This record gives sequence, C-alpha cells and structure tokens, in this order.
Amino acid sequence: MKNKIIMFWVIAAIVIASIAVIILKPTKLGLDLVGGSRLVLEAQTTDQVKEITPETMSHLQFAIEQRVNKLGVAETIVQQVGDKRLLVEIPAVTDLKEAKAFIGETAQLEFKKPGKVEKGIVTWEPTGLTGKDLSKSQLTTDSSGQWVVSLEFNAEGAKKFAELTEALVDQQMAIFFDGELQSAPVIREPIYGGNAQISGGDSGFAYDEAQRMVDLLNAGALPVPAEIVEENTVGPTLGADSIAASKKAGIIGLAAVMIFMIVFYHVPGLIADIALIIYSLILFALFKTIPVTLTLAGIAGFILSIGMAVDANILIFERTKEELRAGRNLFTAINSGFDRAFTSIFDSNMTTIITCVILYLLGTSVVKGFALTLALGVMVSMFSAITVTRNFMHLIFGTGELKHPGLFGLKKEEIGASYQAAETQREKARFGILD
Amino acid sequence: MLNTGRKHLVHVVKYRWWWMALTTILLVPGIIAMIYSSVTYQNHAPMKVGIDYTGGTILQYGIENKVTNTDLAQTRANLEEKGIENPYLQILNVNNDQQKNTKSEIQSIISVRTKFIDKDSNDEETITSIMSEQYNNPELMSVSSVGPTMGKELFKNSLIALTLAFLGIVAYLSFRFRFDYALAAILGVLHDVIFVCGVFSILGLVYNVQIDGLFITAILTVIGFSVHDTIVVFDRIRENLRYYSKKMSFGDIVDASVNQTLTRSINTSLTTLITLLALYLWGGVTTRDFVLAMIIGIIIGTYSSIFFCSMLVDFWNDKKNTPKQIAA
Repeated sequence: MKNKIIMFWVIAAIVIASIAVIILKPTKLGLDLVGGSRLVLEAQTTDQVKEITPETMSHLQFAIEQRVNKLGVAETIVQQVGDKRLLVEIPAVTDLKEAKAFIGETAQLEFKKPGKVEKGIVTWEPTGLTGKDLSKSQLTTDSSGQWVVSLEFNAEGAKKFAELTEALVDQQMAIFFDGELQSAPVIREPIYGGNAQISGGDSGFAYDEAQRMVDLLNAGALPVPAEIVEENTVGPTLGADSIAASKKAGIIGLAAVMIFMIVFYHVPGLIADIALIIYSLILFALFKTIPVTLTLAGIAGFILSIGMAVDANILIFERTKEELRAGRNLFTAINSGFDRAFTSIFDSNMTTIITCVILYLLGTSVVKGFALTLALGVMVSMFSAITVTRNFMHLIFGTGELKHPGLFGLKKEEIGASYQAAETQREKARFGILD
Repeated sequence: MLNTGRKHLVHVVKYRWWWMALTTILLVPGIIAMIYSSVTYQNHAPMKVGIDYTGGTILQYGIENKVTNTDLAQTRANLEEKGIENPYLQILNVNNDQQKNTKSEIQSIISVRTKFIDKDSNDEETITSIMSEQYNNPELMSVSSVGPTMGKELFKNSLIALTLAFLGIVAYLSFRFRFDYALAAILGVLHDVIFVCGVFSILGLVYNVQIDGLFITAILTVIGFSVHDTIVVFDRIRENLRYYSKKMSFGDIVDASVNQTLTRSINTSLTTLITLLALYLWGGVTTRDFVLAMIIGIIIGTYSSIFFCSMLVDFWNDKKNTPKQIAA
C-alpha cells in the first residue's frame, strides 16, 4: 500500500507540472484553425528565362515547398494561382519576417572565372558550373576553426569542377551566391573528387549566415526570382464560424462521455473520468512542449486517442467485473482485471504506434500531423490507464471483500454466479489467488 | 464450461453464411457506385472530389465594414442556398497597399474559394450578387484560378505510406498472433474503408457530396479504430484458446470470446460515437462531412470486428481442419 501512496504523489506532481506548462506555453495551432499569413509570390522573368512556362512554375512551386519545409513549419500550403503566381500560406505562429527572407532568396550559386581586366578591376565570367551541379551541402569548420560551407558535387558537377580547376591553375576562381562574391581562392592544383568549400573571405562566416546558406543550397535554387506581391493575414481556412461551433460541440460531447462512464460503471467510471482529465492535461502539456502544431487532422488523432484511452478503462473494468462475479476479493479482482486486460491494451496500442511511426516517416503533412498526435496520445493513454486508474482503484477500494457491489454496478446475486476463469499456477501466484 | 454469465447474444459461427451475405449486401452497392463514378466522372475518380483535389477559383471581395464570424456563416449559408457548393470562406485583413488600390475605404476582404468557374458559367455573377445583398458595395478585387492543395503526388504519397503501414500491422499481428488473424484484421480494415468510400460515392451521386482533403484523415481514423477493435476480440480468442482449447471446439471459443467482449465493444464505440454525434449536430459546417465519415466508419468498424473478422478466422480454421473429401 505504501508504494501506492508514493505513486499517488508522483501522479500529482506530473499533473501540477503539466498544468504549469499549459499555462506558461503558447498553443501552436495550424492554418486551418487560426489562420496565419498569406503571401502571393510572382515569378519574375530574367535575361536567361524570358518566359514563365507552366514547367518553370512547377519547378518554382517545388523549390518553395522545399524551403518552407526546411523552416520546420507544419502544414504550410503552397498553391499555384493563375499563370505566374504562387500562394503561400504560413500559420500565425511563424516568424513571418524570417520566413519572407528565406522564401524570397533566389539562392543562385555560381562559379566564375576571371575575364577581362578593365581599369584594374577583374570582371568575372560564368563557367557553366552552378548550384544545379551540387548533390549536397554541409556546415563544417576548416583547420583554423572558421565556419565553412562544404559542397559535394554530383557526377556531372565533379567533372565540370575538375576541368575548371585544371584550366585555372595559378589563377583565381570566384564563388558567387545570389550575385554576391563570397570568396575568390587561387587554385594551386586541379581538384578531383568533386568536393569544394566556400569560406567567408577574410572576415569569415558567422554561424547563422553559413547555416542559412547551407539550408538554401540544400533546398535548391529557385529557377527564377520570385517577388512577394501581396501579403495579408488570413482567418482560418475552415472558417472561424465553424471552429467556434465545433469547440462548443466538442465540450458537450466529452461531458456526455463522462456522464456515460459514471452511469454505466459507477465509481470506477468516476475514476476513469478523473484519469481521462489527467490524461488530457499531460497530453496537452506534451503538445505544447514538443511543440506540435495542432490542425484539424491532429485533433482527429487526439479524439481517436481519447477513444482508445476510454477503451483501455472499459476493458479493465469489464475484466474486473468478471473477476468480481467469479467471487474474487477486491484486490485480486482489480489486479487480475488489469493483467488480463493488459495484453489486449498492449497489442492494440502497439499496432497503432507502429502504424503511426510508418505514417509519420512516409506521409505528407496532413497524415504526419494525425500520426504524431495519435502516437503521443496512445503512449500517454497507456500510462494513464495502467498507472493512474489502477492506482486510484487500489487507493479507493482497498483490499477487502466487495461489500457494496453497487459501487461497480453489479447486483449481489451476480457475485460468484458465473464465469470461472482458469489460471495457471504462475498466474494464481501473481494475482494473489489462494485455493 | 466457459460462459459469459448470460445467454449468448450473438452467434458468429452458427449464422456464418448470414454474416457473409450481410457483408456482401453492405459492400456491393458502394462498390457499384464507385465503379459507376469512375466510368462516368470526367476525372475518373471513384468519388466526387472537391477543390482540394481539383483546384478551383478564388474570388476576393473588398468590404467596407469589418466582417464578423456571424456574417461569414450567413454568407456561407447564402452561397450554398444558391447552389455554390462547398465554398471555402476566409476573412483577410487589409494592408495599406491594398487600400490604395481600391475605390472605397475597405475594412476586410472576403476570400471565396470554389470550384473552377469557366467562361460559360455565371457563377461569378451569382456570387457577386449574393455578396451585394449582404454587404454594402462589395468590390470584386481579383478572380484567379488556384491549384489543388491535395495534388496527385501528395495523394499517391499518402497511399504508399498507408500500404506500408498495413504491412507493418500484418507483420506485428503475425508475430503476436498468427498470420491468418493478421490477414483477417486487414481484410476487416479494407471492408470498413470500402464501405465508407462506397457510402460517400453514393452520397456524391445522389446528394452531390464532395470529399475534401480531410476525408483522408477520416479514413485514417477509421482504420486506427477498426484494427484496435478487432485486436481486442482476437486477444480474447487467444486467451480462451490457452485455457479451453482441449475442452471446446474452436468455433465455440470464437463465439464465447465475441460475447465476452461484446459489452466492451459496444461501450467503446458508444463513447466515441457520443463525441462525434455532438460534433455532427452542433459542430461547424465545414467539418460536417468529415465527422459523418468517421461516424459511419466507427459503426461499420464495430460490426466488422464482431462479425466479419472473427467469422473469417473461424471459417479458415474450419477449412484447414476438415479432412479432404474423397471423391466417390
């Protein structure tokens, strides 16, 4: 009994911590629930690209999507609007200024060779080697501890780079990023193997600057520059009117479930309701800590996990009732009820978690949001059903005989009337059954 | 003897052929509707798909007053009444640049997303006239076509993820139970998904109901619920087999297990349905179809785990154990 009381205080501490997190941390809600910012980007023609074709647009859309994903923003929408515009919607939680700067960069990486010298200034000429020839980019440090951006070329890029360095021995080669000269090292000998580094010139890179360059290079250059032509904050895509109504309905629904549990399961039902409240507090605190951007899909996962948490309690109570009907004393009935229910709770929840992991790793944003909240929900529900419910049941009912079957919604004459569960010797020892 | 303390309420094994027949009756109309839709719809989709999948047109109206949520709900109702189906309405704030470009001082912009409006259609005029009835001199600021949010790539990607998730479920259940249980659970899931898709295909044909991006989430929820529900019944069969396999036939054990878990199956489904019903009756209009898909899915999921999956396991077990008839 002593460890039950210790457990009670552990649960109380977790609940208090959860409430503190819920009060202190902001909730992250998705575009569909709170809205956010709507940017309209327009593709610009350049000297090289004189016309915006549908193909250019789909490349542009892909590149922008890649970048938005790199920002770590959940549930962003990138859509084509008209012939040469993209509509980007970003949830309200994001730092819009940063997002805008990131989306707007063209991220053109160019390698140039020295051309004519005019009035003592070298003009740089394109070499045909660009960011398109990269396979990936990484942030590393050089021998003197400076931040450098290391580049790895793809097969074609490696060939071009080798030819270029062969031709430029003892000359300078310049690296431009978005039209800005980053560094112009002198090539001592041809470089084979397809690796190169960009150092930040004499002053070196600041960490943030280098990291941003790496992110942009990995996300890929935009095929054409895109300019932000419109910028608005928008209401939720699902409509603010609908969301307000659903909030009320959700609360009514949950209250009805709680009443149902008490009506059907009496005192254990009440315990389940308390466990359910604790469950929701812990889960919500977890959502805020990680943080998870909640969208409707995520809330669907949350509702399903509540269903599964209630189910765990129902399974346990039904088994406990069966054990009580078989005439077991309270302590044994609660213990064996839990143990027998546990295999089904474990297997069904494990299957759900496996499904969620696969959906999270491979799915797209909507599916991801659902999988994440459901997996978290199921894990917390295992904890709440097994730890919280069990602990409270033992604390409230104690160890004696069941004197008031009504507390469990049982009738006196049902006790001992039916269902003889067969146990192995080992199980008997575990449940505390004495013949 | 193993019993549940009361008479068996359901007989899975005895009425096996009835359950098979009922399952067929439940699935066939939906399958026919989906085939019919795939053939007749222009985009060959088995269900009527909304602008999340097809793209559509965005119209933006500048409004002189601040638009409230109640106004927006009214606009939505007005639009639907005049035959503009499933419009997506959003309120945009107004920035300084936009204020300069409009004739009058506007306070809010209403963005209306609807299906593609082509040249022959007068939907644009209809929407504008509805806006004019409700607001003072609404100004149509822009009309532009917009691509799908749930494009083909994204949809394909989701399907691949789902298929792999199914394989994961089969692997786990084969490990914890047996391969035939795993197969029965997956067939149960497919049964439920086909039923829900079938119902929406019929609703699309009869009531013009379109599925949106949320439909995929609803289907995921149904799958999660269905597998969960089935495993609880299978767990009871597994447990009873351990204790009674020498004394009782497999069929009797299946029947007893289903009856023992019956209260739990119904109560669990009821608690989930209570929440969903509240959301359906009093919740937002935009999520109504989404909730309906989940309600249908959970009802059919409860049916399939009680009658369909356990029946299959017993049926296969029977076939395996019946000695082959010697040809006369």
